[in-house]
Amino acid sequence: MLATTEATDAQVPSLGLEACLAMVALLVAVLVGYGWLLGFHVDNAHNGLIAASFSAVGLYVVRMRPRHREGWLFIAVGVVHAVMFFGRQYGRAEGVLPAASWIGWLGVWPLPLAIALAGWTFMAFPHGRLLSPAWRRAGLGMLAIAAAMATMSALWPVDYDRIGLVSPNPLELPGAELAARYWRYLLPSYALFQVLWTAAVVVRLRRARGDEARQMRWLVYATVMALVLLVTGLVVFRSPVLGALAVPLIPVAAGIAILKYRLYDIDPVVNKTLVVGSLVLLITVGYIAMVVGVGALIPVGTGWLSLLTTAIVAVAFEPLRRRAQCVADRFVYGHRPTPYEALSRLSSQLDEAPEELFDGIAATVANAVGATEVVVWVGEEARLLPQAGWPRLPDSRKLSRLDELDSRPPSHVRPVVHQGALRGAITLRKPIGEALTSAEGRLLDDLVAQTGLVIAQQQQAKELQAAARRIVTAQDAARRRIERDLHDGAQERLVTMGIELGSLEEHAKATGGHELAARVRDVRAQLLEATAELRELARGLHPMVLSEAGLETALRMLADRSAIPVRVSVGLAGRLPREVDATAYYVVSEALTNAARHSGAEVVTVEVAKIEQELQVRVSDDGRGGARPDGGTGLQGLADRLAAVGATLTIDSPVGGGTRIGTVLPCA
Amino acid sequence: MRLILADDGVLFREGMARIVTEVGFEVTGQARNGTELVELVRRDPPDVVITDLRMPPNFADEGIEAAAEIRSFAPNVGLMLLSQYVEVHHALRLMDEFDGAVGYLLKDRVSDLSAFAADVRRVAAGHVVIDQELVSRLVSRRRERDPLAELTDRERQVLALMAQGLTNAALSEELFVSVKTVEGYIRNVFTKLGLQPGEREHRRVLAVLQFLRQQ
Repeated sequence: MLATTEATDAQVPSLGLEACLAMVALLVAVLVGYGWLLGFHVDNAHNGLIAASFSAVGLYVVRMRPRHREGWLFIAVGVVHAVMFFGRQYGRAEGVLPAASWIGWLGVWPLPLAIALAGWTFMAFPHGRLLSPAWRRAGLGMLAIAAAMATMSALWPVDYDRIGLVSPNPLELPGAELAARYWRYLLPSYALFQVLWTAAVVVRLRRARGDEARQMRWLVYATVMALVLLVTGLVVFRSPVLGALAVPLIPVAAGIAILKYRLYDIDPVVNKTLVVGSLVLLITVGYIAMVVGVGALIPVGTGWLSLLTTAIVAVAFEPLRRRAQCVADRFVYGHRPTPYEALSRLSSQLDEAPEELFDGIAATVANAVGATEVVVWVGEEARLLPQAGWPRLPDSRKLSRLDELDSRPPSHVRPVVHQGALRGAITLRKPIGEALTSAEGRLLDDLVAQTGLVIAQQQQAKELQAAARRIVTAQDAARRRIERDLHDGAQERLVTMGIELGSLEEHAKATGGHELAARVRDVRAQLLEATAELRELARGLHPMVLSEAGLETALRMLADRSAIPVRVSVGLAGRLPREVDATAYYVVSEALTNAARHSGAEVVTVEVAKIEQELQVRVSDDGRGGARPDGGTGLQGLADRLAAVGATLTIDSPVGGGTRIGTVLPCA
Repeated sequence: MRLILADDGVLFREGMARIVTEVGFEVTGQARNGTELVELVRRDPPDVVITDLRMPPNFADEGIEAAAEIRSFAPNVGLMLLSQYVEVHHALRLMDEFDGAVGYLLKDRVSDLSAFAADVRRVAAGHVVIDQELVSRLVSRRRERDPLAELTDRERQVLALMAQGLTNAALSEELFVSVKTVEGYIRNVFTKLGLQPGEREHRRVLAVLQFLRQQ
């Protein structure tokens, strides 16, 4: 399945591109092949190998993925080295060949460019893009220095002594001595280039996650192996040939990393290399120490010593191997947490946002047992849905039955059971050839038990939130109903009574009962006060304007009635869900009431805007600040209401620094 | 003068029908909602329609909708809208959409029979009536830089009455001064507030309300 994913990523190269790639391949083949025929020079062999290997890998990558920048960089590195290799081979050939000074010249001056280009290629691995604009600037600086050096090297024979060409620099310009003096100051740039790209690779390796991390490990593994071989060759055989031969390892590993990183996992290879390498090293050193050291002190036969050493090695081998494995595991898979760490990390994640919680579990499990892939499933036995995955959620998110989940090694399935009911499952895949140790198994069981708690807690939290939301909705409905009842009932009766009293008053006046008329007028005035109070009460319960004309009009009405000047800025297109309307209205209403009562502000600003699927609400004043939700200010009720609809109330109110109350309401 | 009343509350409607009859109006029809009201007016247009703003089916702004429809086919019918609440956005809308002969009052106002009767007559005469509570709320609200601070008490009084829809003649009666003096006050107010004097009465009310609503 993974292989097909790779195949679908690939694009078919066009005919023009094919022809172009064939030309490049031919050019490099001719340069390198003809170059080899001209003789063998140890100090030029690596150029030939670099040319051949980088070009081959680059061409292959570009054929598979024509738009892959790193592939093109590889080709560039290969071609430059091919030219240089050929130039040097030609310029050093026995019996000076025609135009040897010019062709040899081509083998000299591109060197700084070749080094810088190779550096850039490493820095841009694996996608062909540098880490950031800053790294890009550094890379461009490197290229600029290299270009300057190449120009200098082209004009004057500053680098000729080292390379041993038969013919001198063909330009023969004056000032060669002066140039050579300056050249010495430029030479440390090479070291600088090395530091730069090594730093870039290290930074990327540290930052990389998932696929990129795996790709980076391929490159680093090959580079380290090549270096080890180089050092071994230099130390043991006193020759760089072994190192030169190891050079193609790097582009080949890079090519695998670019095209097939999902197919072959580098980690077990690195792991085994480290174990075997360290064992070989330890045993060799131990053996030499025994034979040389002990043999010099105690006069016993070499045969006995060998026997004794072998015995010691045999006894010490298994503990040593286990220790080496442990160190290698830590190196490759990072710091694997102890069971206690894993569990405490998991419980500390319980506070996190629900969506991230299962991601956290997947990562913790992967980390704890060194799995290459972990999926957390939630649901009933026959309806499990992948909820989170490490390093990523599976592509197909279809419902599965527990017994359908892949449990053949190296995959493992653990059902998550909480209070006797199946709540989900955790599936994981170990690297090929690695079993789940019993310690890992126990840790996994503990994590699975914790996961059961988490799932149960999540379900409870969901139910709680749903209940809170129902309460808020019901409360809103009740407020609307009471307002309506007041409007149609008590308010109407009172107003009608007012009319009757008005009529009575007129009658009294008409019949000369002026005292009666005055008393009726008094009663009517009191009645009108009562209706005014009732009116404000009803409006506080539910502002009719909200359902009638929407949030913006309702907010402007609040502003009209506010005791403090209010600036209103509303960015809404169309109506919002009723629940969102009401919640935003209450937030603003409560914030304005608070501002009027406590803040002493000169002006309050209300900003409401719908941005994508969220309504952002913000009320800020320039008052004395210090508002707290526990001060009996109604802010706590507001916070509860917001929590019920999945939002939070933010209060920023430093003493003396004004108050900013806001929330973001989901309104999908 | 002939009236048609519309309100979904039967008590209030009947009470109002009785008292307006006592004051000398003739009630030619009663409706329970906007649709009925439009039907009645279509059959026999009265001088003024007195309607609740909020009626079935949605209890939103059915009264205004019905009024707008009536205005479209019977432009000479005065429109008086009553409501439990008076809101600025409604007042602005009425001033903006209706070319005068429109009123907007709290239902409470009906109980002061003589004042209410006068308001109905003003609407019938093509004038504008805006509830005093709404206007006083706007006039008295605090502002960041209050332009009303520039006005004298008398000018502020003129401004408030103007916002309620009073004509220059009505203003002169209310304030016991000559129409010339009223015109002088109004000129001062408009100059101090930087307002353009509207040619028509309801445009003047609209401009003043909009101004009062600003910060």
